Amino acid sequence: MKRREFLHNLAMATGVTISVAGIPIKAFARPFMNIQSSSGKILVLIQLKGGNDGLNTVIPLDQYSIYISKRPNLKIDENLIVKLTDATGVHPALAPLKPLFDEGKLTVIQGVGYPNQNRSHFRSTDIWLTASDSDKYIFDGWVGRYLLKAFPDYPNIPPAHPMAIQIGSVQSGLFDSQQGGLAVAFDNPDSFYQLVNGISADADPPPATIAGDELKFLKEVAALSVKYASVIKEKADKGNPKQDYSKGGTFGGQLKIIADLIAGGLETPVYLATLDGFDTHANQANTHQTLLSRLGESLKSFQADLEQLGFADKVVVLTFSEFGRRVTENGSLGTDHGAALPMFLVGKNIQAGIFGLNPDLTNLDNNGDVKFLYDFRQVYATMLKDHFGMTNQQVKDVLFKDFQTLPLLKLITNVEDEKEIPAQFTLSQNYPNPFNPETVINYQLSAFSFVTLKVYDVLGKEVATLVNEYQQPGEYNSQFSIRNYQLSSGVYFYQLRAGNFVETKKMILQK
Amino acid sequence: MGRSGYLNKISVWDADAARHILSRSLFGFTQQDVDFALSKTLDDFVDNYLLKDQPEPAPPIYNGTDWTIQPHNSANQTNYTNWYYSLVFWWLNMMINQGFSFREKMVWFWSNHFVSESSTVQVPQFIYLQNKLFRRYALGNIIELTKKVTIDPAMLIYLNGNQNTKSSPNENYARELMELFTIGIGNYSEADIKQAARALTGWRINNTTLTSYFDSPRFDGGTKTFLGQTGNFGYEDIVNIIFTKPATAEFLCRKLYKEFLYYQPNEDYVKQLAEIMRANNFNLNPVLSTLLKSQYFHSEDIRGAKIKSPIELLVAAVKQFGISTDNNFLNYIRTKSKDLQQEIFNPPDVRGWEGQRKWMSTTTYPSRNNYTDSIINGVKIGSITYRTDVVAYARSFSSSEKAVQFVEDVTKLLIQFPLSQARKDFLLATLLDGAAVYDWSTYDAQAKTRLEKFFKALMRLPEFQLS
Repeated sequence: MKRREFLHNLAMATGVTISVAGIPIKAFARPFMNIQSSSGKILVLIQLKGGNDGLNTVIPLDQYSIYISKRPNLKIDENLIVKLTDATGVHPALAPLKPLFDEGKLTVIQGVGYPNQNRSHFRSTDIWLTASDSDKYIFDGWVGRYLLKAFPDYPNIPPAHPMAIQIGSVQSGLFDSQQGGLAVAFDNPDSFYQLVNGISADADPPPATIAGDELKFLKEVAALSVKYASVIKEKADKGNPKQDYSKGGTFGGQLKIIADLIAGGLETPVYLATLDGFDTHANQANTHQTLLSRLGESLKSFQADLEQLGFADKVVVLTFSEFGRRVTENGSLGTDHGAALPMFLVGKNIQAGIFGLNPDLTNLDNNGDVKFLYDFRQVYATMLKDHFGMTNQQVKDVLFKDFQTLPLLKLITNVEDEKEIPAQFTLSQNYPNPFNPETVINYQLSAFSFVTLKVYDVLGKEVATLVNEYQQPGEYNSQFSIRNYQLSSGVYFYQLRAGNFVETKKMILQK
Repeated sequence: MGRSGYLNKISVWDADAARHILSRSLFGFTQQDVDFALSKTLDDFVDNYLLKDQPEPAPPIYNGTDWTIQPHNSANQTNYTNWYYSLVFWWLNMMINQGFSFREKMVWFWSNHFVSESSTVQVPQFIYLQNKLFRRYALGNIIELTKKVTIDPAMLIYLNGNQNTKSSPNENYARELMELFTIGIGNYSEADIKQAARALTGWRINNTTLTSYFDSPRFDGGTKTFLGQTGNFGYEDIVNIIFTKPATAEFLCRKLYKEFLYYQPNEDYVKQLAEIMRANNFNLNPVLSTLLKSQYFHSEDIRGAKIKSPIELLVAAVKQFGISTDNNFLNYIRTKSKDLQQEIFNPPDVRGWEGQRKWMSTTTYPSRNNYTDSIINGVKIGSITYRTDVVAYARSFSSSEKAVQFVEDVTKLLIQFPLSQARKDFLLATLLDGAAVYDWSTYDAQAKTRLEKFFKALMRLPEFQLS
């Protein structure tokens, strides 16, 4: 059988959980534009392995009585919950995040998931790592695809610093690409340097057989270790984090290393740290408490370090997990596999707050799980576009289709960036629609103009002014929340005026 | 070879075929093993040696006692770390002293299929009993094994089956039974998981007898509808129904393919093997016999295409070079297996180790080189230095005094990947270290140093990681 047939069969085999590392699959090949890398920005991804119980992480205070009826044993006492807002609180173990929230450095992105939730750890992890649809099998990671765009000359001209770093010893599918795994994985910069000493890489072409593919892969791994061990050690020696990460356990140690490397001047754009153990089918309370405490303490120390060391402008941290857990607890003082869950975003240049609604515990899916409000790929699209400065087309190439970005980051005009100027003025349909209580309106300006964006009711009465100022050409996302207004369900209009451009669209508020 | 011929028996039984079979079915082998295999016919060697039933081994002993029959209680718990280590050493010895039996590879296969983690189960007696179960059914009937595993104490603990009751079902085992152990994802619904969980209720563990038992008040005796059938099902019914589905044999054969051939399954081969599996009512012996003799298993696509697991790498070195198997050295193997991400009895999660490329990272790759260097340089533990006697090992080859042939013979034995001439030239140059070919002798004063460099260089080749 030829390789092509293998791959065909692989894709056809619906019964397999596929998570194949870095196979060059020609079907996905596209010509890459020669683009700039990361605009100096850094994304630190934190994988919460096993499926984090979103409902005991971020607790809906506005539905507390329903919550305790679903969680008679696992409920968090109301007076112990750390309140972020009147409607939303977090697990007491996450108390270290409260100051971050108050200072505008933490966003809770509510209800993140995807259509046709898969409840297998492995399949759902693959979906999150590859950014595939629930019914599609993709063989490279979304970060791997991003990195090949950011470093289009790789592997012919490898960058001076690693493209991605994973703290750990088993390479994640997140960094798989058509050019092999792109991350350097290690537990500790010093021991990594010692280890790699004496390895040599060679450039002999392997034979064109299946076994030859495996040999090629091994040579790539060897080459990556050799190339980057010295620069990683050098930067780690130079960096000097000030905070105490000990309350974060070994996970805290992972973030300390990342702080070390960033502070030392390593220009790697993506890092991955992992906190494992969230698959809490039984006796969840203590396990979850410990895990969340390590997460909260570590994030607190990490953010403090970045600020003190002067790198906070460059970095955002994003947590993810393969799924949330069942709303109703099981009989083993635990929870089974569920669906949507919140993500945390930490950083200085973010739109802090609670983004989206608390899960509606009276409106669950057929399985008794939280429905999703936002597709996880909207969050990825936001990171690619608003953090890394990719164009819409580039984001689409990485994520395979258009995803509406979310207003999660403060958009800072960077004069060094080559900005993409839209070809025309446009006003897009709001998202989500119908909505309650928040929705996002996206528009694009092709020229510097005075802009107003207003909301009217069906009688033509103005109910809100969202924008009323001069704006640069570019793409904008305006958020409309009914929280500040007394509005009833029904049809509303929003109108954009920019120079001579006027357009009106309809939206529906459904309470 | 046409697709219809994948399972046909190979027509040539030669040294290449013998080395390939040995490298995939054993944890390392020597030149003597290759010679022995070739002294038999293919059928004789596979069916009467590799797949022969073996007696059950004696249990592990710690401090003179058989701890495997001690009750699980708090008094005994203080010994559990020592008992766990004794179990690890016992199993490593089993692999090192496996003879020509395929059984230990299959025990690994099953323990990485019906996964439990010792760190979760936390009772070495239960881990031992599960390992014993895998050994008993290593080459036996998969339906029976699946039923036994479903009520196996370690599994009941690991996937919360012992907490799955009529009043509060726990879906954990029901989901993994289908997703990972039998039929595979995409062949059942979320409703099937909930119904199966109900049928699997009622099982508990007796910590004194170390056995599981059925507690009928905790069993959900109601009607269940599972994979299209309706009845008052218990766990055996659930397993039986699963094994009537065609996808199950294919799922299991795909798993065998990934372990023993290559990590990307060839679906034609899988389907053909699944027919054999069904025709033999899920008895494994005839399936493995067909696999090991099949043309596609022996094709150049497959030979040398498998990345060795850490345990394969670690144990093979002990077997090949004849290094000590005392507990101190086995403890070194244990710590190395952890560094290389295959801590014995502790897979990363319920899917088990994925293997192949997942074994290799920028950290584990250099760690492997570090290990192979260490068995040549010597590992000092306490007052003893464990190392390979490279001169004695070299002289075990009849070509030891002829440098070119020696490089040829050693690389053929130790490296399954077809080595390029450039690589052989490099190894020869390393061995000679500037001397002329005709000057080579293992009796030369420099021979030991040169052989050490040669073996380290050989095992540092990326080709050495392939099997």
